[in-house]
Amino acid sequence: MSDASPLSEDAPLAERVRANPRPGLLWALGLFAFVAVEFGALATAITGPVPWNVLYELPAGLVGGATVTSVASVVVLVSTIVCGAVGFYVQSKTNTLRAGAAGTLALLVGVGVAASIGGVLLYAFVALGLLAGLGLLAGGYTRDSPRAMVFGVVVLVVGLIGLESVVSFPTLLTRELFPNQGHRLPGGGWEGPFLGLSPALAWAFRVVLVYAYAFGLLWWCWRGYRTFRQHYRYADWTPRDDMIDRLSGHYWGLFGFLVVFMFVTMAVFAPPLGPTTVEQNINNPYSYQIEYLTDSGAVESITAGDANIGSSSAGNPDRNVGVMQYDDFGRFHPFGTLVSGKDMFTFMAAGARVSLFIGLLSIGVAGLIATGLALVTAYYKGLADLIVVITSDSIQSLPRLLLIILMSVVFAGTGIAKVYSGGLLLALIFAATSWPFLWRAVRGPAFQIAEQEWIDAARSFGQAPHKTMQKHMAPYILGYLLVYGSLSLGGIIIATAALSFLGLGIQPPTPEWGRAVNLGRSYIATVSWHISTIPGILVVIVVTGFNAFGDGIRDAIDPQSEGGSDAADEGVAAAGGGG
Amino acid sequence: MSRWQYFLRRLVLSIPVLIFGTTITFVILRMGPLDPVSAILGPTGSPQAYNEIERNLGLNQPLWAQYVDFMVDLFTFNLGQSWVLNPDTSAYELILIFAPRTIWLGFWSVLIALFVGIPLGFYAGLNPNSLSDYVASFGGIVWRAMPNFWLAVILVGALGLGGPLGAAWIELGTRTTVIGPPNLGFLSEPLTLVTDPGSSWENLLVAIKKIAPAAIVLGSASMGNEMRIGRTAVLETINSNYVETARAKGVPRRSIVWKHVFRNALIPLVPIITGEAFLLIGGSVIVETVFGINGLGYLFFQSIVNSDLPLTGSLMFVFIVLLVSINILQDFLYTVIDPRVGYD
Repeated sequence: MSDASPLSEDAPLAERVRANPRPGLLWALGLFAFVAVEFGALATAITGPVPWNVLYELPAGLVGGATVTSVASVVVLVSTIVCGAVGFYVQSKTNTLRAGAAGTLALLVGVGVAASIGGVLLYAFVALGLLAGLGLLAGGYTRDSPRAMVFGVVVLVVGLIGLESVVSFPTLLTRELFPNQGHRLPGGGWEGPFLGLSPALAWAFRVVLVYAYAFGLLWWCWRGYRTFRQHYRYADWTPRDDMIDRLSGHYWGLFGFLVVFMFVTMAVFAPPLGPTTVEQNINNPYSYQIEYLTDSGAVESITAGDANIGSSSAGNPDRNVGVMQYDDFGRFHPFGTLVSGKDMFTFMAAGARVSLFIGLLSIGVAGLIATGLALVTAYYKGLADLIVVITSDSIQSLPRLLLIILMSVVFAGTGIAKVYSGGLLLALIFAATSWPFLWRAVRGPAFQIAEQEWIDAARSFGQAPHKTMQKHMAPYILGYLLVYGSLSLGGIIIATAALSFLGLGIQPPTPEWGRAVNLGRSYIATVSWHISTIPGILVVIVVTGFNAFGDGIRDAIDPQSEGGSDAADEGVAAAGGGG
Repeated sequence: MSRWQYFLRRLVLSIPVLIFGTTITFVILRMGPLDPVSAILGPTGSPQAYNEIERNLGLNQPLWAQYVDFMVDLFTFNLGQSWVLNPDTSAYELILIFAPRTIWLGFWSVLIALFVGIPLGFYAGLNPNSLSDYVASFGGIVWRAMPNFWLAVILVGALGLGGPLGAAWIELGTRTTVIGPPNLGFLSEPLTLVTDPGSSWENLLVAIKKIAPAAIVLGSASMGNEMRIGRTAVLETINSNYVETARAKGVPRRSIVWKHVFRNALIPLVPIITGEAFLLIGGSVIVETVFGINGLGYLFFQSIVNSDLPLTGSLMFVFIVLLVSINILQDFLYTVIDPRVGYD
C-alpha cells in the first residue's frame, strides 16, 4: 500500500477504498464509460436467453392484456410494488436475505407487468426498481455485507433488464451506426455505407473500432489490477505477482494470449464484425431486400437470398467471389462467399461463437468434475482413488474420437441435441470424455498438497473435509487446471470441427468451421479454394494460440519448467491427430 | 516394489479397465436412444414385423440378460454378425476384409512419424537456438495444430485431378489416383515378391504410393509431437550432470550423443510412440473417409451411422483390446528400458 493509512491488515477492501477513494473511483468511472457505450449489446446478451414470453408476457396477457385501464393489471402492479417495498424494508431492518429475495421476485413480476402495460407508469416503476437496487447496494456497502451488495447488484441488473426490454440503450459498435451495406451510385461513389466510404472501408473501419474497443477494455482491466496492487492491497508482494511478471516476459505465451484474445473478441463481437448478419445471411435471406446498381445504371432491389444465388463460389472463374472481393450486388466479402453464395466472414464469426461456447462449457464442466474428484481422491486416498483410477483409465482406454462419434450419433435424436443445433450435446460429450485427462493432470499436484502439514493441522483442528478441500487445497490446483484446460480447448475446437466435417455434431443452419471445410472440399483445387482453406488456417492459428497460451501459463506458475525442460509435459498440447 | 511386480500390477489392473470400457460401450449402445429395429426395417414396417425382428435380435429380453450375453460373447471373441450394413456377414469376416488397408495405412504413418519426427527433434535438440532449430520447432508446433481432416482435404486438392501438383503426382511412377483404396492383393501371397519380382514389386510400390498422402496426414500430428518431445528430451539429457562429466573426461562427442544422450532421450518418447495408436485409430475414421480408403475406420463410421449395433460394439471392443494391449506393451517397454520404474 502506497499511502501510510493506519488501516489494519485485515480491513476489508471497502474500507481501504474509502480511505483512499481517488484511484479506485477514477478506474470505476473509466470502466463505467467502457460499459456504458456498449450497454445495449451487453443487456441484449444478458436478456436474450431469458424466456421473457413465459416470464411476463403470458401472465400479463392472462391478467388483462395491454390496456392501461385494466383494473387487474393495476392491482397486480400496485401489490407487487407494495410487496417489493415491504420486502426491502424488512430486509433493511432484520438483515435477512429471504425478505430481499421476495422483494426481488415482486420486482421481477412488477417489471413484467409494467412492461406489458407500457407508458409512464412503467418508467416510474423501473426507476423505483433501480432505486431499490441502488439502495440495497449502498446499504450493503456501508454495512460491509458482501451478500447484500451482491444482492443489490442482482436487483440492479433485474431493473436494468426491465428497462432494456422497453427502452433500447445506445450501443456504439453497431452496424446501424457504421453501416457497410449500400449500393453504388450511377455517377460513382456509394450510397449507404458509413460516410459514403466504400463498403470494404466501412467494414474495415468497424472491425478496427471493435478491436480497438476490446483492446482498450483489456488495457483498462490491466490498469485496474495495477491500481489494486498499488493502492489497495495490503501485501507488497504475493507469489501471484511473480507469475504475472513471468507471463508478461514470456513472448511465446503473450503471442498465445493475443491470439486467444482476438479469437474471443471475434466470438463475442460476432454480430458487429460480420459484413452482414447471420439472420440476413444464413437464416432468412429471403426476408431481406438489398439495393444494387444494375449494369444499365438503374438502382434496383433484390432479396438477399436471390443475390446470394447470384454470388456463389462454385469453382468456376465466372462463378466465384474470392477473398476481399465485391460481388455483383455491391456487397463486400472479406473472406469471399460459400458455395451457396453466403458471406463467409459472417459464417466464420458466428462459427467462432459456437466453437468458443462448446470449448468453454465442456472445459468448465470437465474442470469441475476433475477438481472435485482430484480433491476427494487426494484427501481420502485408498479405495476412492482406486475407483476413480479405474474409471478414468477405462474412459481413456476407449478411442476418444470414436467414442465421441458414437455418442453424438446415439444421442442425435434426443431433446438435448436440439439446443443450439447440438452444441450443448457436443459440449457435454466432450466434458464426459475429457475429464479423465484433466483429472490425471491435477492428480499429482493434489496429492502433493494433501501431504502438506497444514492439511493435517486443519484435519486435527476438526475442520470439515469439504472446507479443507475448498479452502486449502483447491486454490493450488487451479493453476494446473488452467494450463491443461487451455491446452485441451484447442483439441476440443479441432474435434468439434472434425465432427461437423463428418456431418455430425453441429447441424445446419448454425455455422461451424468444419462444415465450411466440408462444403468447399470439391473446389479446393479451383479458384474457389478459399472455402476450405481459410477455416483450416484459422483453426491452426487458434489452436496454436491456445497451445502457446497454455505453455506460457505453465512456465509462469512453474518456473522450473521454463524453456520446456520437462519432456513428459510436452505431449499434452492439442494435436490435430484426432481430427 | 520391484519392476516386475509393478508390471504385473499394471497387467492385473488392465482387466477391470477392459471390462469397464466394454461396459461403457454397452451402456451407450443399448441404453441410449438408438433403435436398430427401425434401422433394419426402414420407415415402412408394420408393428408385427417390428416385433418379429425385435424378438429375433433378442432385444426384447431384459437388459441385464442382454448385458451378460454381450459381455460373454465379446470376451469369448464371438463377435456376432452385422445387422444392417452387410446383413448376415459375421463381424470377423468384415474385419478381415477391411483391416488390411487400415494396417497398411497405420504402418506407413507410424513409419513416417518415427523416421521424420524423431530425427528432426534430435537434430533440433542437438543444435538448440539455431535458425534450423527455430524453423524445425515452429514448424512442428504449427504442423501439430493442423486438423487431420483439413490437411487431408488440402492434399486431395493439391494432388488430385486438376490440382496444382496433380499431374506430376498422378503420373509419378505408375499412374494412380489420390482417392480410393490401395490394392493389397500381393500381401496374400508374399512369396511372389521372390518368385515373381517383376509385377509384385511394382504392385508393392503402387500400394505405397497410393497410401502415401493419407499416411502423411495420419502421421502428421504425432510427427509434430515426437519432434517436440525429442527436442526437449535431448536438451534435458545434454544439459545433465553425467553428460557434463563425460565431456569433461574427454569422451568424444559422437559417443556422447549416441551412448549417453540418444538412449536416455528415447525414454520419454515411449509413451508418445505407443500413444500414437490413439491418434491412428481416431484419425483413421477421418482420413479413410476423405481418401476413400475402405478400412476399419470407414467401417466403424458406416456401422454407427447406420445403427449397426453388434458391428459397432464388436469394432469398439477390438479397438479397446488393441489400445489396452498397447498400453501394456508400453509398460513392458518401460520396465525393460528404464530400470527406475516401480521403485517409488
